[in-house]
Amino acid sequence: MDYLLQIIPTIADGLKVTISLFCVVWILSIPGGIVLALLRLSKLPLIDKIVEAFVYLMRGTPLMLQILFMYFALPIMTDGAIQMDDATAAVVTFVLNYAAYLCEIFRGGIQSIPRGQYEGAKVLGFTYGQTMRTIILPQMFKRVLPPLANETINLLKDTSLVYVLAMNDILRITKSIVQRDFDISAFIVAAIFYLIFTFILTNIFNYLEKRFSVYDE
Amino acid sequence: MAFVNMERIEKQFNNQTVLKDVSLQMNKGEIVSIIGPSGSGKSTFLRCLGQLETIDGGAITVDGITLVSTDSSGMVHYANKQTMHDLLLRMGMVFQSFNLFPHMTVLENIMVAPRMVKAMKDAEILPIAERLLNKVGLWEKRDMYPSRLSGGQQQRVAIARALAMNPEIMLFDEPTSALDPELTGEVLKTIKQLADDHMTMIIVTHEMNFAREVSDRIIFMADGVIQEEGSPEQIFTNPQSPRTKAFLENML
Repeated sequence: MDYLLQIIPTIADGLKVTISLFCVVWILSIPGGIVLALLRLSKLPLIDKIVEAFVYLMRGTPLMLQILFMYFALPIMTDGAIQMDDATAAVVTFVLNYAAYLCEIFRGGIQSIPRGQYEGAKVLGFTYGQTMRTIILPQMFKRVLPPLANETINLLKDTSLVYVLAMNDILRITKSIVQRDFDISAFIVAAIFYLIFTFILTNIFNYLEKRFSVYDE
Repeated sequence: MAFVNMERIEKQFNNQTVLKDVSLQMNKGEIVSIIGPSGSGKSTFLRCLGQLETIDGGAITVDGITLVSTDSSGMVHYANKQTMHDLLLRMGMVFQSFNLFPHMTVLENIMVAPRMVKAMKDAEILPIAERLLNKVGLWEKRDMYPSRLSGGQQQRVAIARALAMNPEIMLFDEPTSALDPELTGEVLKTIKQLADDHMTMIIVTHEMNFAREVSDRIIFMADGVIQEEGSPEQIFTNPQSPRTKAFLENML
């Protein structure tokens, strides 16, 4: 028990890295995903192909490889012109990666809204921007909540990949405690931290689903 | 000069001609019904006026303002964005599938367009919304979401929503076709009220008795062309074209 009380604050220290990375990435990748989805659906001929290629690249390579590339390879390839500290490299990579996944989720959501909604808005004089903002995207969010919850929980766990940049998130601190003390209790503590966090997220999404269920389609 | 002037409209979908040389002139206050079998192009024709389809030939002017014209070499020219938008705001359109916004209450459905598109204040819109919802008999349902209403009620909200923009002409695209038979009456009654107010209307419909009762003029379309056109009396009691005769015999 004394041992647990001793390691919990140390592991909780890693929570700061995990939570701040999670929050920053989540807040940036949602608008990023929406913009990508709108570009992908736009009739601009070259743009949609570029977005498609970007999504392919981001989904087709491991996230860990992307992190290593951003931090180690990019400075060498650009002769030092692009050089980021570990936290920045991690945030940039995560945002690009998650925006790509969210792009596909949002695209599916937008495409599932019936054409009549666009027509109804158009004949009332709505511009494209107004239609998207007030008619299409609010309805899309209701439809994509379940996959969005999946991605959000995935993101929480994926943040542990920053250990490859020697950032002290929950998992890296836990691992070093286990190696130092030859005691696996720290793993259990880390798991509980993740589970608590996931529990909170799940409840937030349940609440949102309930809020959105005031209307049917 | 006619209020709406659609001249020699041509329209193709994937090389298939859906409208061939279709013309319509109508004056303010006139009510024109377009009837005809499914796939005859009547909805497409209406949607060309409502800017939901682009035409491949012909010309459309509304109140003397050109929406689209075709030059001698066959090139179609649409007006600039602002003109198109201004013309759109002078029309109201009602769809077969209602197209209410499901995530907004009845009242929000009515208020959102005047607020966003005309930049009106809620205090100005609310009395209009109240008057229109009372007119269609649904003020009590103002805080409900559309999915809680019957099809007939949804369509009446859709009519009120279009009227809230204060249009000069109303376009109805098969407004009762998605409704159970016992619900069509309430929607037709609402449209009839508009007719009594001398609203200019084009109604694409399968409701023959209603078309006969409410219209000044009937257009019968089949295979993308106007087969016959005339007063309700003329079309329903003494049709000239064999296509019209065959169609009406089937319908009545």
